[in-house]
Amino acid sequence: MAKAAGVVLAGGRSSRMGSPKAALEWHGSTLLWCTVAIIGRATAGPVVVVRAPGQELPDLPPDTEVVEDPREGQGPVQGIAAGLAALADRADVAFVSSTDLPFLHPAFVRRVVRAAADGADVGLPVARGFRQPLAASYRTTLAPAAERLVRDGRLKPAFLFDQCTVATLDEAALHADPVLAALDPALDSVLNVNEPADYQAARARPAPEVTVQRFGVLADGHRGAEQVRAATVSEAAEAAGVTLGRHVAAALNGDQITRDGQTPLATGDTVFFLSADAGG
Amino acid sequence: MTAGGYFGQALVVDATSGSAAALPLPDEVLRAYLGGVGLGVWLLHRLAPAGVDALAPEAPLAFVFSPLVGTSLTTSAKFAVVAKSPLTGMLTDALASSHFAIAGKLTGNDAIVVRGARSELSVLLADGDGVRFEAAGDLAGLSAAETSSRLRERLGRGWRVGAIGPAGERGVRYATISHDGRHAGRGGLGAVLGAKRIKAVAVRAAERKVPPADPEAVLAAARDLRARSFGPATAKYRELGTLANLLAFNAISTLPTRNFQAASFEGASHLAAEQVAELRKVARNSCASCTIGCEHIYAARGGKKMRVEYENVFALGPMCGVSDPDAVLAASAYCDDLGIDTISAGGTIAWAMECVERGLIDAPWLRFGDADALLRVLAEIGARSGLGDLLADGSRRAAEQVGGGSAAFAPHVKGLEMPGYEPRSLHAMALGLAVNARGADHNRSGAYEADLSGEVDRLDGGSAHVTAAVETEDRAAVMDSMILCKFLRGVFTDPFAEWADLLSAVTGWDLTAAELRRTARRILLAKRLYNLREGWQPADDWLPERLLSEPLELASGRVAALTPDRLRTMIDGYYAARGLDGQGRPDPADLADLHLP
Repeated sequence: MAKAAGVVLAGGRSSRMGSPKAALEWHGSTLLWCTVAIIGRATAGPVVVVRAPGQELPDLPPDTEVVEDPREGQGPVQGIAAGLAALADRADVAFVSSTDLPFLHPAFVRRVVRAAADGADVGLPVARGFRQPLAASYRTTLAPAAERLVRDGRLKPAFLFDQCTVATLDEAALHADPVLAALDPALDSVLNVNEPADYQAARARPAPEVTVQRFGVLADGHRGAEQVRAATVSEAAEAAGVTLGRHVAAALNGDQITRDGQTPLATGDTVFFLSADAGG
Repeated sequence: MTAGGYFGQALVVDATSGSAAALPLPDEVLRAYLGGVGLGVWLLHRLAPAGVDALAPEAPLAFVFSPLVGTSLTTSAKFAVVAKSPLTGMLTDALASSHFAIAGKLTGNDAIVVRGARSELSVLLADGDGVRFEAAGDLAGLSAAETSSRLRERLGRGWRVGAIGPAGERGVRYATISHDGRHAGRGGLGAVLGAKRIKAVAVRAAERKVPPADPEAVLAAARDLRARSFGPATAKYRELGTLANLLAFNAISTLPTRNFQAASFEGASHLAAEQVAELRKVARNSCASCTIGCEHIYAARGGKKMRVEYENVFALGPMCGVSDPDAVLAASAYCDDLGIDTISAGGTIAWAMECVERGLIDAPWLRFGDADALLRVLAEIGARSGLGDLLADGSRRAAEQVGGGSAAFAPHVKGLEMPGYEPRSLHAMALGLAVNARGADHNRSGAYEADLSGEVDRLDGGSAHVTAAVETEDRAAVMDSMILCKFLRGVFTDPFAEWADLLSAVTGWDLTAAELRRTARRILLAKRLYNLREGWQPADDWLPERLLSEPLELASGRVAALTPDRLRTMIDGYYAARGLDGQGRPDPADLADLHLP
């Protein structure tokens, strides 16, 4: 079973946005936090943020690793090289993302990671009319090749693709995954925000629809599941009328357990609220 | 001078001759082991012959009290029963609660140890005047509850009784000792008492007091703890009881089902606390000196009242594939009547059901999900008749008899059947279960707390899980020795420091958190050393093969797998953290601190 991880490239200049995209507010945290956390959820592996030399980053989820581009302004291949190199001894495949994918869905990440894990060097989505090299999966063994390209001044991802096996995932291929087709039918996972208007439009969208269920003493007579709109575990807790804390934990989709209210949610998620005092 | 809260002696009873002698307990031993489980381990080192058969007359059985017993501290009326387990061949220590603890201690002893055996079924009576035995032939075959009731009628209500049921008399290796419906349940202590032909131990308080060193400080602490015991940390226990776990565990794939063939059960909602409480709950109760009141009393079919906990419902329900709440309540009540541990009973029966499915046992009537078969096989176990004679020895011995690869799915560690926590989806708990001295045990290792709190990724065991397992073992060692109920654990924010203050107020010692941490490690090391003496091997710190070779697919799409390599790495980390060598053996230099005889 291939070990998966994540790389988030945060070193872009955000020139069209006019302010650092990594730090843009998103449901109580930032776009960068949300992107890192979604990838962490989807891969269950380490996530590396690649920043420009000396770049100041907003708060990041616990255990996020940070590496620096050797030089500023060399484009995404340098960041890909740095991120893959940082993961080389711990993961086989990394989902590589830009900072600004506010609707990135874990099901999309898993589908794309699977493409590279199945034997290709790169799993490259082609969605919403474009190739998506910054929402793609890469084998970590590509790090040396990417570093060579940077040394040679060949800074576009296409040069990397020329040197390896690429599994192209068009929309039909992506929709062939029933989970992804159900949860992100429009492939909003690849929608990015480049300008203030994009950001405002993204913020205006309703939060994802998720299912919440309370157990034990938290249920307080409310049995069964309820549908709510919530972009984070905190929002889901508020909608369910519980408060996360020392004695209350949340289980995402029946596996990952957290008391971190900033954990981002995606459409179709289920959040169980349960007593953290589980003994007896 | 003996410290506050102690009498400074154990009463050692020779059942063969009917005599008793006081064993002085020096202050340094009491300070090193506190009481309860800790002092019990020391007593076993002191009094148990090496290599003794657990059911031999020479094997000691210790009822051990604690310095807090008799104080006004909430949940302090508890006692430990400690012996070599007939199920595991290693140390077992079980806790029970209520008036027996207070009356037993106020006989003037910090422990009552029984060795030898009677020639006929008897009752041991202990009070301030010493001990005596009475014939108990008329009590043969009775449940512990009925035995207690008859004895209190005969002796007077001042007497408190710990008794065995018919299973203990017949040597079922997971028989319990029960007091007032609460059980020293794990490891077969009832069989040990039964082998001594002792049906019950009755204790009566003498006119003796054992004042704490600083009564005002103890009273203030008692008021504070009492107030905290009404807070959110104990809400689950008060409002629904431990059965509240069942539906939540099912949702997160940690509910062992059909002998660990699955981790969620399609019939879970029928057995949920919320559902059963609506149908059958009749009252709530608490032990003596307890303000939590965790006991939820249910009416089984036919009206019989009984306590229900998560573990007995898990073991007799999902583990055996039974979803009928009336059947599970009836089976649980039947286990109480027989005097057997529900976890070991359920685990052993579930293993047998799978053996039947695989054609390894010829008992076509014994099928997963068949409630009538569950009750029938319990009766056979209690009577040691038919298939029950095999199953009365527990899943490890039964698998050795049946063979055919059935050991791979026998649900035990060191011979003790697994509790209701799925190790593949709780990796910190997996480690705790593997290395615990008592065997597969959820009360001496609460590592599931880390798994279920989100502090660690429960599906990705590593060094953080080792740290969590060590910490929860240390906490349990102190709580089980001083003794406070672990349902109170959530109210402590700085537990070792707070416990040091409590114990200092009672004993007069100037204890610190650091000393209590050393005490915890000493107790755990003494347990390990006892097991080593009795034949423990490195391979005993391990989990059943099934759990290491059959991954679980979760509803989320993630796979819950616990590989042998991962478990080995965690165990190695645990050994290193405990100062043990790579084979799990202690450094001889550490033994000097153990104050062992």
